[in-house]
Order: sequence, then structure tokens, then C-alpha cells
Amino acid sequence: MTMVLKRGEDVADQVHRPVPLLNVDQLCIDIGARNASVRIVDKVSFTLGKGERVALVGESGSGKSVTAQALMRLNPRVRLSGRVDFDGADLLQLSAGQMAALRGSRIGMVFQDPMSSLDPLMTIGDQVAETLRIRGIGRQEARRRALEVLDELKVERAVERLESYPHEFSGGMRQRVVLAMALVGEPDLLIADEPTTALDVRVQERVLDLLDEISRRRGLAVLLITHDMGIVAGFADRVMVMYSGRIVEENEAAQLFREPQHPYTRGLLEAVPRADRTVDRLPSINGAPPLPSSRPKGCHFHPRCDRATGVCSAETPGETFTPLGGRVRCHLYGAG
Amino acid sequence: MTAGLQTAIRRIARFSAYELTVFAVVVALFLVALVGPLLAPPSIYTSNMLETLMPPSADHWLGTDDQGRDIAWRLVAGAQLSLLATMLVVILYSAIGMLVATLATVGPRWADELLMRISDIGLSLPGLVVALGIATVLGPSLQSGIIALALTGWPMTARILRTTMRQTMEQSFVEGATVLGVSRTRLMLKHVLPNSLDVLIVKWAGDLSYTMLILAGLSFIGVGAQPPSPEWGAMISGARSYTSIAWWAVAAPGAAIVINAVAFALLADILQVHRDPSLRS
Repeated sequence: MTMVLKRGEDVADQVHRPVPLLNVDQLCIDIGARNASVRIVDKVSFTLGKGERVALVGESGSGKSVTAQALMRLNPRVRLSGRVDFDGADLLQLSAGQMAALRGSRIGMVFQDPMSSLDPLMTIGDQVAETLRIRGIGRQEARRRALEVLDELKVERAVERLESYPHEFSGGMRQRVVLAMALVGEPDLLIADEPTTALDVRVQERVLDLLDEISRRRGLAVLLITHDMGIVAGFADRVMVMYSGRIVEENEAAQLFREPQHPYTRGLLEAVPRADRTVDRLPSINGAPPLPSSRPKGCHFHPRCDRATGVCSAETPGETFTPLGGRVRCHLYGAG
Repeated sequence: MTAGLQTAIRRIARFSAYELTVFAVVVALFLVALVGPLLAPPSIYTSNMLETLMPPSADHWLGTDDQGRDIAWRLVAGAQLSLLATMLVVILYSAIGMLVATLATVGPRWADELLMRISDIGLSLPGLVVALGIATVLGPSLQSGIIALALTGWPMTARILRTTMRQTMEQSFVEGATVLGVSRTRLMLKHVLPNSLDVLIVKWAGDLSYTMLILAGLSFIGVGAQPPSPEWGAMISGARSYTSIAWWAVAAPGAAIVINAVAFALLADILQVHRDPSLRS
């Protein structure tokens, strides 16, 4: 950006309003036959700027992974509606061929399970280079760039390991290879769906640090899908909390952790064990999230909410922008 | 190219002495099949009534048949017919089976249903009888036998492979390749098919020996290779009536079939171990 900042202008304000890259507007995801369809994601809207790191947090069944898959149009069994604008084009309107051309080159994606995300019969080098090879880049050039990315991800002795097979790698190393596959095409956006869940805590940390480093160096936007508030704190600029198919709260990470607004977010944060506090028993949120087919009327969270009132079970709360710079879907704030 | 040579040496060094022996035997069998007919003396196609049904001796290592022809040379000459015809049949119907399985896996649901019902029909018919019918219509010859077996052999391959490919499609590396922008065709050919072939490699071992026997069976019935062809199956059926006085005339081609079948079974075993990178050590 060539924008010149005047003295006294709020620099932070400029930093936090990056050029939009991905704009999701009223995305709905339905599954099942048309006459008996179930809405699993309900009017999800959010924006992701260039180089921005945003976390989408929620319990299993909240619809976060389905949302991630919808952005890549991976699941042919669901019906998508709304708009997903990526760099000027609505992804939901693209042909299958156009979508395939975008995958890997503009939008990368990694999944939870590094054990099975790699083809067991293909060498690491061939797999990392594949994105480039299918786009007509020569063998030597593709190999060289694969090596570069593996180096960038700090895979030791990368040259020798190009000829190795996935089973010769540890879990953490495999996840780095999976990341390398997603990053070798130099995408603008990386969707990371629980990228570290299958790894042990220390390896998790290493992988996230690497991702953090690369995202900063390359200006790569990252959408981190996770259920783990613990890994969000150190990584994301902004956090969106998803519950039962809706985004219930969004704010800058620091704000959200300091002053969570939605009772659900509060519950989640209280349930994270902390080193600086001693408690006999970690607080938890009572009950379990509802199945998409039997979600309650009104606010989906009201049966588990300790601050629910009559209106919560009757009306779906709208989105309210908070003075703290975020938005929240809760009747506690909507009235004011 | 020294790099190429080094790679070749590294590849060979991965195999044990036993595995290399099996390779050598298979290669030898192929060599015999390739050059045998060129080396064999012309006398194996003509009768020599002075030397009929001679037991194995220094002159005739495996004895002679009812026409006085040297059985050892006839086996060498017939290797091409038996071995290559068998391989051709298995290759042809495997190709058909792979095509059907791939179409059933990627195609729409109705295509899957249609192809699998056709396979079921194919499976429910006795293969030998249908092959017999096809070969009869095409006229009795070895080519007819090959075509008939290729057309009747594929349904089992298609069914087995289609099931395995469906399972492979569920694995997350398939989704992983999709998010890299890999096309549907490449996904099937480079990822799904190679990761589904293990079941077939095992099946091929049995298929080769089974097909060799069926081809011999067709010759025996009279719709496959015709006498005086030295096709092994035809040799067995030709010598059948003399078993009690000249056991070697049946045993020698029988043993040739057994040696081939066992060699292929062992080869399939080795290939399977070496195809799976995690079984190599």
C-alpha cells in the first residue's frame, strides 16, 4: 500500500482494515432432499482481508468445517446459497473447472489428519510438486520450488527427503508436508481446518509458529478453523465464534479474550485451563449443542444459557455492533 | 548417465537373493516364450512314426508323443502360445475391468448401477460356457479363445476394483489432492487407481494360472488352439488317451503349466510387497 499516514493518525486503525480478499455474505448451507432439507449453516457473513489471520472457533457440529468446505465447494452433497466473493468473483457461481483452477493456486487448504492426507504411494517431492506440475510447470522447476517450500517449513535435509514416502515421516513432519503442498502454489488464502488437532501439544505449537511466520512473510491470509481457544490466542488477529450454524460473536482477538460479550464465548473462555489460576474444577457449559435437525427456536444457545430470558426462546437475535468494535448476536445487547 | 545407473543399482539392491531368483525364472520363461519358436527344429511339426511314445532319454529329454515328436522342443515352441496368450487374456480383461470400475466410481449413480448390473449378469453366467459360445461363433482358433476369455473375464475385476476404488475415494488424501486443484481424471489415474490395485495384483497371480488352464480347456474341447499346434493345453488333451502307457506326454506340459503358475504367484507376491512403500525395509 502506498497510503501515506499523516502524523497523529491512528496507525493501528489502518493496520486493522486491510484490503478485503474474501467476503462471505449470507452464506447458507442446506443438506438433504429439498422437501426435508436441514439448514446446517445459517446466514453466515464475514470478511477476510489480505494477509489477515482470522480464527473460526466452535464446537464440533457448530458448522465451522462445513463452512470451510463450502468456501472450496468440496462437498457436492450440500446446497449452498448466498455469496462468497473472492477477489472479485463469486465462488458459488464459478464452473467446476474454474473452481479447480483456483484451488491450490489462489486458495490453499489443509486438513486435520496429516496421517491420511498424503498419498501413501507417492514420494513427498512428487506430492509437493504436484500443484505446480498440473499447471504445466516443468519437472526441474517444480522440484526446485517444492524444495524451497520445504525449506521454508524447516523440513530438515529436505533434498534427501524429496524421495521419501509419507510413512517415513512423523506426524509433525507430515503436517509440514501437507502445508507445503498447500503453500507451494503461493495462494493468497489458506484455509486451515483443525490443522494441528491430531498433533501433540509441542508439535502443534511448532507448526503454528511456522504458519505464523510464513503468513507474515508472504502476506498470506489464513482462516483457521478450530475448537481450541488455546491455539487461537497466539495466532489470530480476529476471532469469530460459531455456535449451532451461526456466528454469534466476532471481534479482534485481544478484545474478545479480554471482554467476551456473548454468554457462549464467555463459557468457552472460562473452560480454557489457565496457568495463572488455580481452580478445583474447570467451569463448563451445561448440556450439549443441538443437532442441526432439532435446533431450538429463537437463539440456538438459550437452553444452555444462564442469562436467557423469555425473548431468547421466541426470537432470533439480530446482529449488534458493540462499542468494542465487534459484533454479537445476543438479545442482551440487541435492545440497547 | 551415472545418476541413472546409481538409481538402477539402488533399485536392484532392494531385492533379496530369493526375489532376484524369482525374477530370473520369470525372465527365463519369457525369453523361452519369445525365442523358443525360432530355435525349435522343424521336426516337431511333422510325424516320425519310428519314434512314437518314446520315454525320456538322452536324445529326447522329455520323451516323444504319439506322432514321434520331441516333447521338450514342443514345450519350448508352445511356450509362446500358452504364455503370451494367457498374458494377453489377463491384460485385456483387466483393462476392461479397470475401465468399467473407474467409470462406475466417477460416473453418476445410474452409470454405476448400470455397469455393476451388467457385471453381475456376467458373473452369473458360467464363463467357460459363454467363452465356448463366443469362440464357436468366431470359429475355432487360438485368437477366438483369447477374445472369448477377454470378453468374459472382466466382471470380477470390475467388481472388486470398483469396491476398492470407492473405499480409496473416502480417504482424505483424495480430498487433499482435490484442494490442490487436481482434475478428476488425474485424481483417478494418479491417486485412486494406484492406491486400489493391490487387490488386483494378488488376483492376477491366480488369474494367470487359471486362464492358462481355461485356454487349455478350450483347446481340449476343440474351439481353441488346433492340432498340430504345440499349445500346452492342446498337448495335454492330445496325449490324454495315452496316459497309461506314456505318462510323460501328459506330465511334461502339465509340469510346464505348474512351473509357470507358481512363478507368477511368487512374482505377484513380491510385487505386492514392493509396491507398498511401508512394507519395504
